[in-house]
Amino acid sequence: MPGVAYEQLKAREKKTVDKLVRHFDENREFFSTLLRQLVEALRAQSELRGLVHSFRSRVKESDHLREKLARKTIAARSSDAPLDITTDNLFTKITDLAGCRILHLYTKQFGDINRCLQSVFEEEKYEKLEGPSARTWDDETREYFESIKVDTVKSKSLYTSVHYVIAPNKRTPCTCEVQVRTLAEEIWGEVNHAINYPHLADSVACREQIAVLARVTSSCSRLVDAIFTSHNHNRTADKQ
Amino acid sequence: MAAANRTVFKRLAIFNHKGGVGKTLLTYNIAASLSNLGYRTLLVDADPQCNLTSYIVEESVVDDLLNTSDNPSGRTIWTAVKPIVEATGELNYVEPYELSVRSMYLLPGDIRLAEFESDLDESWSDSVRRRIRGFRGTMSLSTLVREIATRHKIDYVFYDLGPNIGPLNRVMLLDCDFFVIPAACDLFSVRALKTLGHTLAGWMDDWRMIAKLAPDDIDLLRGAPQFAGYIAQRFRTYGGHVAKEHAKFLRQIDQHIRSDVVSVVPTISARLAGGGKTPFRIGLIKDLGSLVTPALEQGVPIWDVSAGSPDQREEARAAFSALAKRVVARTT
Repeated sequence: MPGVAYEQLKAREKKTVDKLVRHFDENREFFSTLLRQLVEALRAQSELRGLVHSFRSRVKESDHLREKLARKTIAARSSDAPLDITTDNLFTKITDLAGCRILHLYTKQFGDINRCLQSVFEEEKYEKLEGPSARTWDDETREYFESIKVDTVKSKSLYTSVHYVIAPNKRTPCTCEVQVRTLAEEIWGEVNHAINYPHLADSVACREQIAVLARVTSSCSRLVDAIFTSHNHNRTADKQ
Repeated sequence: MAAANRTVFKRLAIFNHKGGVGKTLLTYNIAASLSNLGYRTLLVDADPQCNLTSYIVEESVVDDLLNTSDNPSGRTIWTAVKPIVEATGELNYVEPYELSVRSMYLLPGDIRLAEFESDLDESWSDSVRRRIRGFRGTMSLSTLVREIATRHKIDYVFYDLGPNIGPLNRVMLLDCDFFVIPAACDLFSVRALKTLGHTLAGWMDDWRMIAKLAPDDIDLLRGAPQFAGYIAQRFRTYGGHVAKEHAKFLRQIDQHIRSDVVSVVPTISARLAGGGKTPFRIGLIKDLGSLVTPALEQGVPIWDVSAGSPDQREEARAAFSALAKRVVARTT
């Protein structure tokens, strides 16, 4: 289904975007194989399994890619440049064509999760191109990530998640995005995605409520952190 | 390192999963002709039935080879892969058997290679899943052959394969630089071409995906054997002309090579583009009749048998020599 941004394109621009989307569609099987291999390698790591609630993965929807490319075309126009994406670099310019999401219960598990992920990438010989990089808007959460030496990025959109970009090797131009977030963050992410993706909702009420939901889910993650902190504290005390 | 070695020697298989098309006889005699032309050749008997080994090595020696192949100092293909099958260690280098034909070597076959084949199926699945141990198994015979070929300065390696499309033949064919299809003048030989073309194309597709996603610094199969042509054989002649019945099969073979192999397999040797009515045909080997059985019994090239007339033997020698030269031309 053609989206809002795509409909604003000129015929020539549409042709370029369509060609890119077709190129991606022709390689869909490749990306799903890449994801299958990665998720299996992650699932095979027993310590990680103990920290993770669930793994999700998806190959990007063609319609979503079409809109993303249309938005980039429009953005390029404003600086009088053509879209700098071609079939040769599509798979590296767009890093989330294949995406894997790791859901867990509370923020403070991330230090261990990061260690497990890095060891899987190393043992299974994946190239880490970016990350971990934590998108966050909450001061306290940012301090936590900084304390474990994880780069942080301010998130004006209220989106939160830790990102990595990896590749199966150096010679094949393709990437896969790995996201890590708590279950509560996933609630916000999913609601926001359903309402605002691929087009921002017009409704002020919706936008306002989604902004409030971010506070609620952030508090929820923080609450689960607190529960586990006290639970673990009690267990340690019992042992002593 | 691996890439550099690749350019030094060429790996070929004369393959059809239809049995009884003379694969082994063709393989040995073409290789022997190449040796006569001054090339150094290595025959790899990768058929657990060991037809090639029993063709060219005396029975008592074959018996001895098979009896001792379980020892680390054994001499067969099984000796090499046994540590991998039993997960006790790395590939065991095996010195090839030097044959009486000049600069010709044999890596003897072994009935126990069948045990490796089921392992290979698992290794393949592991490679599909990008598990590093999978690549180790999948690459083991390729690694061994490269090592032998490098040490003995081999020009041509021939894989003699069993008549099936199992996991062992899959890796051996994908390891080849070229493949040649032998086809006999019979209905099944013609029909087999369809399965052969599609199977090879499917394997190449699968391997391309595996290779694209494989980690760096891992040896990989070449994965794209080029079709170097077919050899039609076992036809009869009357007064210098191909018998009518067989002429019909020769036409059918040529048609099916085009429709079921050339148009299906993505890798056709550039050397085949040349003109002529039958550019895909490397050669014709007519029914060798009374020479075949003695050749198999005596374990010598077909032109060296003590049977048949001198003319018959000379004709066979010339036919194989011509064939060998065309193989060289199409694989250069």
